[in-house]
Amino acid sequence: MPIPTVAFSDERLPNGLRLIIAEDHLAPVVAVNIWYGVGSKHEVLGKTGFAHLFEHVMFQGSAHVGKAEHIALVQAAGGTCNGTTWLDRTNYFETLPSNQLELALWLEADRLATLPAALSQENLDNQREVVKNEKRWSYDNRPYGSWVEKVLAALYPPSHPYHHPTIGSMADLDAASLDDVAAFFRLHYAPNNAVLSIVGDVDPAQAREWVRRYFGPIPANPVLPARLPDMALPETLGGEVREIVPDRVPLARIIWGVRSPPFGDTRLDALDLAGQILAGGKGSRLHRRLVREDRLAQDVALFSMGLVGGASLTCGWATARPGVDLERFEATFWEELERMTREPVSDDELARAKALTEADELGALMRVEERADRLSMYATLLDDPGMINRMLPRYLAVTADQIRDVCASVFVPDNRLVLTYVPAGAAEPAEAAA
Amino acid sequence: MTLVETRPGHGEPRPYHFPAFRRHRLSNGINVITVHLPQRELLTAVLVEAIGAGDERPDEAGLTLLMARALTEGTRSRDAVDLVEAAERLGASLHAEAGWDALSVGVDVPAGRLDPALDLVAEVMSEPSFPDAEVERLRDERLNDILQARADPRRRADEGFIDTIYADSSPYHRPAGGTKATVERIDAGACREMHLRQFDPNRMTLIVGGDLQGIDVPELAQRKLGGWTPSATCEGPRVIDAAAAPNGHRVRLLDRPGSVQTEIRVGHVGLRRRIPDFHAVSVMSAILGGLFNSRLNRVLREERGYTYGAGAGFDLRRAAGPFSARAAVNTEVTVPAIEATLAELEGIRDRPVTDDELHAARDFLVGVFPLRFETPAAVVGAISGIVVHGLPDDELARYRDAMEAVDREAVTEAARAHVRPGDASILLVGAADEFLPALEAANLGAITVEREPAA
Repeated sequence: MPIPTVAFSDERLPNGLRLIIAEDHLAPVVAVNIWYGVGSKHEVLGKTGFAHLFEHVMFQGSAHVGKAEHIALVQAAGGTCNGTTWLDRTNYFETLPSNQLELALWLEADRLATLPAALSQENLDNQREVVKNEKRWSYDNRPYGSWVEKVLAALYPPSHPYHHPTIGSMADLDAASLDDVAAFFRLHYAPNNAVLSIVGDVDPAQAREWVRRYFGPIPANPVLPARLPDMALPETLGGEVREIVPDRVPLARIIWGVRSPPFGDTRLDALDLAGQILAGGKGSRLHRRLVREDRLAQDVALFSMGLVGGASLTCGWATARPGVDLERFEATFWEELERMTREPVSDDELARAKALTEADELGALMRVEERADRLSMYATLLDDPGMINRMLPRYLAVTADQIRDVCASVFVPDNRLVLTYVPAGAAEPAEAAA
Repeated sequence: MTLVETRPGHGEPRPYHFPAFRRHRLSNGINVITVHLPQRELLTAVLVEAIGAGDERPDEAGLTLLMARALTEGTRSRDAVDLVEAAERLGASLHAEAGWDALSVGVDVPAGRLDPALDLVAEVMSEPSFPDAEVERLRDERLNDILQARADPRRRADEGFIDTIYADSSPYHRPAGGTKATVERIDAGACREMHLRQFDPNRMTLIVGGDLQGIDVPELAQRKLGGWTPSATCEGPRVIDAAAAPNGHRVRLLDRPGSVQTEIRVGHVGLRRRIPDFHAVSVMSAILGGLFNSRLNRVLREERGYTYGAGAGFDLRRAAGPFSARAAVNTEVTVPAIEATLAELEGIRDRPVTDDELHAARDFLVGVFPLRFETPAAVVGAISGIVVHGLPDDELARYRDAMEAVDREAVTEAARAHVRPGDASILLVGAADEFLPALEAANLGAITVEREPAA
């Protein structure tokens, strides 16, 4: 299949807002997506969870929009919307029938410009409770749920901005005051810290006019970019960290994490392909060996979270079948990873991994919402929205030697955290409960 | 700073119509539906039959889902790894699965490779080998999954809920994947027998969507699939028992000591897909618990902060699937959350929807319609629904008009007919000791508490 190219325009308003527009008139749909260069990495100890709590507050109204009215208006317009917060950034997005673009732009501009006007103790208290329940639902009340926090804490030192999870801690959430929230907004939410992408059935000239009208008057924040501590890290952890975690689970699970090359580094491309070959489906090495042939595992997973601050996080897991010897289980797992560090993968494996990657990329880019998010992502994290067209060719150009080399540097014994979740009350942690 | 106070209006919506599709029929009875979507180069092709977990005898619960998964574990010509690798080389994802209502084998593949991809689909559907070792492995995986489900409070609540509201005679009272007792007995022989009994080309439909320019799908399908003749032992469709449990309104609490949240399910046996008031029911359930500002979410999340999200809806199957209102709330507010939920189930009947509520729901369902069909997979999936539920071909073409015609009266009628808090059961998974006294004091009906056996 020929690789389709996304044609887009890229410009900045005088106040620093970066505007990217890509036309696609195939469907009467338009996606609006705005990335703010603020994530949980901007939080300090004692104030964790603020970026995400703030994302919730963004839906609680602004000068001309009532509490939760943003979502109500978008849904009434036949659209969908949401926001997400992560270590490096916060994004907000709407996908709507194309004749509703102006509304989405007005809504995003109104909350960027005037959110403090609607900021109230009541709304903050309400969303604080919602976020605490999100933490319980996503992590605290789930089997194996503590893994994210543990992996981050082990792979990034306490002083590193990635050390704590985006959801924050209950104590810090409870301590968040209205002043904290207002200060957070004033510092980070500014047009010169934002990338706005509009993709789909759009008239660029009309879109530009609306963007100028609604976003134009919003002043830049000259203090930005916000200072961050030095995020440089050694490529490897410098040791192996191990922890046995008794949990209310019926099956033991080994969850591991390693430091990997930062987002944008071509070595991460090779590592992504390695991930396909190792665990990307039923034809993958770990699935074949652990799940199918040796019958040791119930399931396996491996994926990388691309981060720009020092090192990305590559992690995965293998869930042990009952009665499996965990030492043997773990040894088999590392054996497969270590094989990747010694022998180049076969031509056929590489071709299949590339075919799967291509299908994944093309499938994702078919949707305007995803296209808009990637444009914003590449612009924010790499200052290069054109990467949307170069990413797939990069993957397709990866060689077997490059895969072996990056595995050899990442899958080493002194670069790993190994969590072994075991059924609580298991007498002997070396054995999965039968 | 000049700010624009006035909320903008909207332009004229660009006309949108659900894509037209064409029907053909192969010589062996397989229906073929083609839907041409220009410039969508990643095609979706799905072969579907309206046979699912709901059609199982009680002793074979879970067999359909497992058998479907096992279809890609080997055929007469290829073993599992060969099959997977063949699909991957095409850049195709080959998948076989089943649910309550239907079973399907499908592939997403670049347009230029539809031909070899259909070979895989045909092979998997018509000549699976069900190797003993692979079926055994899948069986063990499902048994382990059953253990995982029990430990996961969300899944445990879902399973406890259906077990509570459905009669034991109904397949809907247990998970689609079966229970330990029934799954333990599954072997390759059972898979082969079900394959012979249920796979009937006369009841299958191949749906292909994407840029079909220059591709003669019916001709291709005839070559790949048209020669397959049904086995002599094919059964016809069955009537699915969706009987409600006889015990009526009750409260069932599955103790999970130390839980920081309680998973709440409130509801009863609901509706099947083929109902005359489908559109009114859709609007009603959006207002009650579908939209972000639905009555349930507004109260439980945005007003009281009890939960990250509360919702309600109908699972419309070939027979009556469950109706449930659901939320995970912090343990301390369990009883007030249940009471608030019940109040909304009463309220949708007694406090008629306002014009604002009606428009919000209707406008959403009508407006979001084109957004649902951006990809061939989404279009093919929707057509698959028409086929499986025996709906008229113009069901999607007239969807928006039918939605626009729903008025407040129709919504209230739908609520009064189909939301019955008086018949509802309540299923809870949480730390019983933290709220049992308050629960008892709330007078919600007879309570049973199930605790873990002491270690």
